[in-house]
Amino acid sequence: MPDVKVSQLNKHFGDNTVLEDVDFTIRDGEFFTLLGPSGCGKSTTLNCIAGLEQPTSGTIAVGDESFVDTSRRVFVPPEGRNLGMVFQSYALWPHKTVAGNLAMPLQIRRIGKDEQRRLIDDALEKVGLKHLRDRFPHQLSGGQQQRVALARALVYSPTVLLLDEPLSNLDAKLREQARAWLKRLQSELGITTVYVTHDQDEALALSDRIAVMSGGHMLQVGTPVEIYETPATAEVAAFVGRCNFLEATIAEVTNTGAVVTLAANGQSLMVETDKTAQVGQTVTVAIRPEQLRLCAAETSGVNTLDTEVLSVSYLGSRYEYDVKLGDHVVQVVCDRGGITGPVRLSVEPDACLLYPEADVLSDEAQELLTVAS
Amino acid sequence: MTTTTSPPPAVQGPVSGGHPAPRYRRFLGLGRELWLQYAVIIFLAILVLAPVVPTLYQSLLDRPLYEAGGVLSLNNYVRLFTEAGFGKVALNTVLFAGLTTVLSLVLAVPMAIVVVRTKLPGGRILAAAMQWPFFISSLILGFGWIMMYGPSGFVSVKVQQILGHLPWNLYSIPGMALTEAVALAPIAYTFCANALRQSDASLESAAQVCGAGPLRIIFQVILPMLRPPIVYSSILVISMSVETLSVPLLYGQPVNIQVFSTFLFKNGLQSINPDYGVLGAASALILVVTIGLVVLQAKLLKDAQRFVSVRGKATRPRTLDLGWLKWITLCAVIFYVVMGALVPIVGLIMRSFTLVFSPLQSPLKSLTMNNYDRVFTYAAYVQSIKNSLIVAALGAVIVSFVALLAVMVARRSTFRFRRAVEYLALAPQAMPGIIVGIGFFWAFAYAPFGSGQLVQGTLWALIIAFGLRALPSGFGSLAPSIMQIGQELDNAARVAGADWIKTFSRILMRLLTPAFAGALILTFVTLLKEYSPAVFLGSADTNIIGTTMLELWVQGNTGSVAALATIQIAITAAFVAIAGLLLKGRSNDA
Repeated sequence: MPDVKVSQLNKHFGDNTVLEDVDFTIRDGEFFTLLGPSGCGKSTTLNCIAGLEQPTSGTIAVGDESFVDTSRRVFVPPEGRNLGMVFQSYALWPHKTVAGNLAMPLQIRRIGKDEQRRLIDDALEKVGLKHLRDRFPHQLSGGQQQRVALARALVYSPTVLLLDEPLSNLDAKLREQARAWLKRLQSELGITTVYVTHDQDEALALSDRIAVMSGGHMLQVGTPVEIYETPATAEVAAFVGRCNFLEATIAEVTNTGAVVTLAANGQSLMVETDKTAQVGQTVTVAIRPEQLRLCAAETSGVNTLDTEVLSVSYLGSRYEYDVKLGDHVVQVVCDRGGITGPVRLSVEPDACLLYPEADVLSDEAQELLTVAS
Repeated sequence: MTTTTSPPPAVQGPVSGGHPAPRYRRFLGLGRELWLQYAVIIFLAILVLAPVVPTLYQSLLDRPLYEAGGVLSLNNYVRLFTEAGFGKVALNTVLFAGLTTVLSLVLAVPMAIVVVRTKLPGGRILAAAMQWPFFISSLILGFGWIMMYGPSGFVSVKVQQILGHLPWNLYSIPGMALTEAVALAPIAYTFCANALRQSDASLESAAQVCGAGPLRIIFQVILPMLRPPIVYSSILVISMSVETLSVPLLYGQPVNIQVFSTFLFKNGLQSINPDYGVLGAASALILVVTIGLVVLQAKLLKDAQRFVSVRGKATRPRTLDLGWLKWITLCAVIFYVVMGALVPIVGLIMRSFTLVFSPLQSPLKSLTMNNYDRVFTYAAYVQSIKNSLIVAALGAVIVSFVALLAVMVARRSTFRFRRAVEYLALAPQAMPGIIVGIGFFWAFAYAPFGSGQLVQGTLWALIIAFGLRALPSGFGSLAPSIMQIGQELDNAARVAGADWIKTFSRILMRLLTPAFAGALILTFVTLLKEYSPAVFLGSADTNIIGTTMLELWVQGNTGSVAALATIQIAITAAFVAIAGLLLKGRSNDA
């Protein structure tokens, strides 16, 4: 199966720029996810690959075949691309039975009746719904409809499978099971898959690689581990997983990183980084809540910060603390409850991520995270 | 649309046993859907421009179109105002349209509020009854009003007996406006009622919680919310009353009150030597006015949709209780339905079964089938009923089909000129029936290779002209249904390998069948009501019910007019009943 190459993709609606210079290559057999908040351009990118939208400029190619090349005025319409797609609403044709839905693409390809029946049975077997072949879509549950939509997208062995938030209409419990099932099915079939979602857990759990998008830009492309542990920008850190953002200034540059002074309470923090920094520069330090440890107030060592517990929430498998660091609220995840009063926070220097001064939180969120010192 | 200029590379099967995408044949380098889309826009453009261009051209020519050696000048426009007395006509039209609009709003707005937003006994039946006048041609409504409230009408005579004098004069501009307002109020009502149904009921609940009474809520919350539909529907009512022919013709003719449409009727048809230049100039001016109104209305609707609070989730609106006031409002609504529509129509039907229809003698004494006998003995009258049915049935099929294609191209394609298709399909809204008639008359006379002569004077001429007039209703009834079908269903078919045409034939056509049936019935009723273009386009062989009724009316043959009107009402009623059943079946499906 060939690679999918998207390069220099731009899309404008009037003055509105939806995609700007989007570049990525999806490898053969890969599960590739476009992740981002709504309106970031991920669905537009997917629709451009499918041919449902025309990019303003750029190229899209699958293997040797060019789907879009605006400089050569090439545009292959969706029906000429031989892709499979599952839509958010499943888009099952309501007037056709399950088998009828699967038969349509085969009839269009002029495949013989017997062969059609074999392919339909095969595809329905893959999704475990062979017994429902004569039902109509409205007689199926949401999960079953989603699997029929998947079978319909697979029945003609397309080159690439496109999935547009296929799990978002399922209820929370079913979604987790469907996610695991989809992952298994994809690796069994080995089909190149492009998946669009705004759900970071889904993206982390399913993908071989993730592309994080925001405002029509590609922020980072990488494996789930890379995306979560070394986010390229503060925006990625904010969007994937949760993160504390602390304003600071560089006090000293060391050979492994830097020492920064936190704006919240003036304490200093050692940070490991390969980015170059200059003394006096304003930066943002990002720390994941699970990287912070709560210690007794008298503990000492590198990177210990004086704080005070504001509140604690019990979340079943863990406790979540809001602690006061100067005038700033910091979130800490801990498996021990009942801690109150003054505490110290400790964090490993390599768990602190250093970014140029970034304004990733909304003003409102910022306000809620500020307390009187 | 960008198209492939280099030969597309061969598709290789991705895996063994893969099934490559189908190939679609292209003609002259363009996909087949583009050919169809261009065909649709060209067809619509010819259809819409055919009556307009000759009219504009004629308005600038110093002699009839078909005479050689015409010279272009603005002389016709000058003569229109100097010799022809068009200024007075324009003034009458403004008065008539203005009064009609005010009256129809006065009727419709309170009724919409009362029926939709308050607890009213029998509200559902009243809501349905409000739509009645909509299905009856204003010509028939006019006949009915004259028979009941005219100078020697049934009700008038009775009132005169009691009071000694008649306190109203139907044959006046206020009389015309009142009748027309009754006919057009359902339009204003529909817009206001829909806006009220869609608006967020919690706005009212919020006012109620603050301690506002029902009257305060109506005046301070509901009425301000209704501003957009009121503005929009009043423009629609203005443009419809500018173009209407029936009521001004029936009421204005005897007392010589002329408005736009009757001016055209008189100068084009009744004068022995029609002045085509003046006729063209008048038509052109009226077109400018109606087109301006429709453009304004389209612009306002676009803005209006922005601030009508529509929510996806249907909240059951809580209704206000008006207390004792509800009985007064109930009486007002019933008075409108009964006196405005029911009494004239029932009177018309009774008239068709009697020889003399007057309170001076019990109508039951002179019961007769004579009026129907006369209609059915004369072959020409029977033919006109047949013609009406043929035009309506054939026209409904053709118009619905054209409207379906237009909606598909306008709303469901990537065609570059899809907005133009929509404008063309809706443009006939701005074309008064009588001008469509005059315009096509000239177009057929002027058509190349004598092709117009083949159509002129046949039923096809009527089907084309009536069809053009009914196209906007067909488009309007199909467009929302198509928008309700999720775009993802199309997209799924496209990705699965169907091109635009196959997506339509395999997926959308099946899903649109109920909507198409609805459009068929709506356009049938619209076409059956229509008659004004036929005034110019009809010949002795192609009379329809409407033109025959006008002829009989002029001859003073009211009994036969009533009989024909009753027949037309019966046909319409049958079709509306079918529509009701079909729509019911549709909502059960969902």
